[in-house]
Amino acid sequence: MKQGMVHMRDQLSQALKMQDVEYADIRLEDKTNTWVNFRGPDLDAIGSGRTVGGIVRALYKGGWGYATFNDLSDLPRQVREACQTAKLVGTGTTYFSRVEPVVDVLKAQMVKDFRQVPLAEKKALVEEYNRIILGFHKNIQTSSVRYADSFKQIWFANSEGTYIEDEVPDVNLMTAAIAREGDIVQNGFETGGAIDGFQGVENFHDKARFAAQKAVELVKAPPVTGAKYTVVTDPILTGVFTHEAFGHLSESDFVYENPRMQEIMVLGKRFGVQNLNIIDDGTLPGGLGTHMYDNEGVPTRQNYLIKDGILVGRLHSRETAAKMKEQVSGNARSVHFQHPPIVRMTNTYIDQGTVAFEDMIKDIKLGVYAIKAIGGETAMEMFTFSAAYGYMIRDGQVAELVRDVVLTGNVFNTLMNIDQIGNDLGWEPNGPGGCGKNDQHPLRVGLGGPHIRIQNCVVGGQQ
Amino acid sequence: MIVKQIVEKALSRAQAVQAVMLTQETSSVDFENDRLKSAESSQRTQIDVKVIVDGKVGVSSTTDPQDVDGVVNRALEAAEFGSPAHFELPDAQSLDPVKIFDPALLPLEKPEMIRMGQQMMEMVKSYNPEILAGAAINKTIYKVEYANSRGAVYAADHTDFNVGAGGQLVRGTDILFASQSMGQKKRAVDTEEIAAQAIEYFRMAERIAPLESGEMPVIFTPRGFIALLLSLGLAVDGKSVHLGASPLRDKLGQQIASPSLTIVDDPFVEYGPRTGAFDNEGVARKVTPLVEKGVLRSFIYDLDTAGRAGTAPTGHGSNRSLTNLVISPGDIPYETMLRSTQSGLLVHEYLGLGQGNPINGEFSVNVFLGYKIENGELVGRVKDVMLAGNAFDALKDIVAISKEREWVSGPWVYFPGLMPYIKVGKLSVTAK
Repeated sequence: MKQGMVHMRDQLSQALKMQDVEYADIRLEDKTNTWVNFRGPDLDAIGSGRTVGGIVRALYKGGWGYATFNDLSDLPRQVREACQTAKLVGTGTTYFSRVEPVVDVLKAQMVKDFRQVPLAEKKALVEEYNRIILGFHKNIQTSSVRYADSFKQIWFANSEGTYIEDEVPDVNLMTAAIAREGDIVQNGFETGGAIDGFQGVENFHDKARFAAQKAVELVKAPPVTGAKYTVVTDPILTGVFTHEAFGHLSESDFVYENPRMQEIMVLGKRFGVQNLNIIDDGTLPGGLGTHMYDNEGVPTRQNYLIKDGILVGRLHSRETAAKMKEQVSGNARSVHFQHPPIVRMTNTYIDQGTVAFEDMIKDIKLGVYAIKAIGGETAMEMFTFSAAYGYMIRDGQVAELVRDVVLTGNVFNTLMNIDQIGNDLGWEPNGPGGCGKNDQHPLRVGLGGPHIRIQNCVVGGQQ
Repeated sequence: MIVKQIVEKALSRAQAVQAVMLTQETSSVDFENDRLKSAESSQRTQIDVKVIVDGKVGVSSTTDPQDVDGVVNRALEAAEFGSPAHFELPDAQSLDPVKIFDPALLPLEKPEMIRMGQQMMEMVKSYNPEILAGAAINKTIYKVEYANSRGAVYAADHTDFNVGAGGQLVRGTDILFASQSMGQKKRAVDTEEIAAQAIEYFRMAERIAPLESGEMPVIFTPRGFIALLLSLGLAVDGKSVHLGASPLRDKLGQQIASPSLTIVDDPFVEYGPRTGAFDNEGVARKVTPLVEKGVLRSFIYDLDTAGRAGTAPTGHGSNRSLTNLVISPGDIPYETMLRSTQSGLLVHEYLGLGQGNPINGEFSVNVFLGYKIENGELVGRVKDVMLAGNAFDALKDIVAISKEREWVSGPWVYFPGLMPYIKVGKLSVTAK
């Protein structure tokens, strides 16, 4: 592949000449990655890999044919295969927004290039963090510290003349502590990393210590009692909530061929309080979901989804935008070459409000302050997400630590129940996870927002 | 064989080496929103290499069969900094025969797969035209080759076949998803049965039944049992046991569940979704009883963890993945189990499973598809309901297991297997 790079544009355009459908594109990827994992006192895994492959998409009478492959030796054959497949599928009308062809070559900017950092140095750093966790307290049972980096080169060309080269670096770290006392086992974790180099995982010692401390404290903490509470979420959990509860509903592939969903998600409908603004922005400098172009070669942009509490926009691929007669938004993303791009979020957040944290909690008699996230899942109207931990709020004060804080609800009620929006703004740090949709996981996305207050939120747990 | 070439190449500098190569071709068709949406042809190659140099382990992988030198060199480089090997690679073993390849799948082409999908979709639509129907069919032919420096060389040709159908129904702001899927290694599949089962889930959900919070008996469908099985599956992982993170670490030979529960990990089920004769470390697979009459019988170990723990590997690969879980049937018909439940919940699918602290047994999940039981009858679907409890406590509180069992398999299934309906005496349910 290396020698071919100079002529990549020629190779791709030659291969695309084989297409005999309405539209075709090719995306090739070459990824190198390394990993260093400790579990307990032992190095669990250390290694490196290389993944090379591509996908051809062909569109014919509204039907898609895909060919995915590791073997790059015969691209024209892959184009023919995708086209033949599309012709088996397509019997209807093609909807596909026009966009201006783009030619661009992008280079990654890294402060400290992790590809130049010797494996020995990566291992030594991860080992330091691991040692901090294991030596923190007698109740620390074991640890899991995982480092991973990857550097992906992408070549994209389509039958309309677009040609884009892009580079996607990623380095991430998870430090997790597992504490135990008797039969109670609890985790504390902190994640970190960067899209601009190895420095993003350096100087993580305090965070590793914090993870260990949290695990030790959580072992002593009671589980939260399941009930309806007034809930305040920290910026990270606000980000997860925004992503899970609302963000997925704004992905138009759930809507564009679904008349009932279109009634629910009609633009102009009120979804929240007057000062609620939800934005997806693929151009945000430094964002985990930031790219110049999406995986259809469409420039990313800032998209208001909710403005002043009103639904004003949604996320699109070229196909969903055309079908719904709306503008493309640059949200067709793919986790890697084994998958076609589908409509995904980039960096999604609730915009800053005006309320100070102290003012938000001062009139809560009994509530939950839910912090950070283990994960979240959604099925359109229903969502659930798990906080890493929480504190009870009693008589306007942050009180005792509680564990097993799982929030669940119906998005339409819950957005309406957000009654206060904080004057701060924070983002979830990089980490090994990401968003999953269909079978594409993990896709790097930015999640953020201020502290927010939600009335009448169901917190699961034993009663 | 490329795997043998890699072993020979690496042996010039390594004391031990193994190579595994996967070569795979997949065809799939996908129906969404009442129409055929896409079809795909996919070709995959993956090579994984593990070396031991001066007692230390290094691994590397590549997707490029031309990159033999690169993958060997990167594994050797990693071994310089690698963890000490607590194992030796296995000798060549005689493998048990397995049924993993169905030649009838070879001639199955996309037009026939499209016809199967259309048929299932039409069935769903004819039950209720308001449902936006979908279907997916996926056929994979693959070869796994293994070689190591002790002379073990294996190759296995597999076929995989996955079929699913379902849809979504929107009424007001109520959105209901229901589907049925299966995965196996043979072609013979009853598409009508799959569509009929998906329709049955819609039928049971035609009404929405309000539910009051409280403690109540819960019947887990074969697919729904994952809520409890997840914790058990994670807790029998030998690595968690060895590191002391598993709550079952000191419970071998002890009663951990109701005496009615027997679970066997069986890699030899004919055409089972995870059937195979050897794992990715060259260890011959064998039947592993996990729980026998409620007594914990074994943990699962890869080579290295087994070495560290001073025990034998169980043939579950370097990731310690369970194969086909077979749960013994109980003694009452499902119908009787349902009829004898005054008020309770039948649970089938969840949102947020595995997010809490699953290895600890604690779960708190949104019931994504569940049905209220009233006077022994299913009276409707429940909404905005959380089910919470401790899986290990619930396993001890199993009060009935059905005679009937169903295969739980398909692309989204974490622990596939042959499972009955299982009733637990009491669990905590929070309704909005």
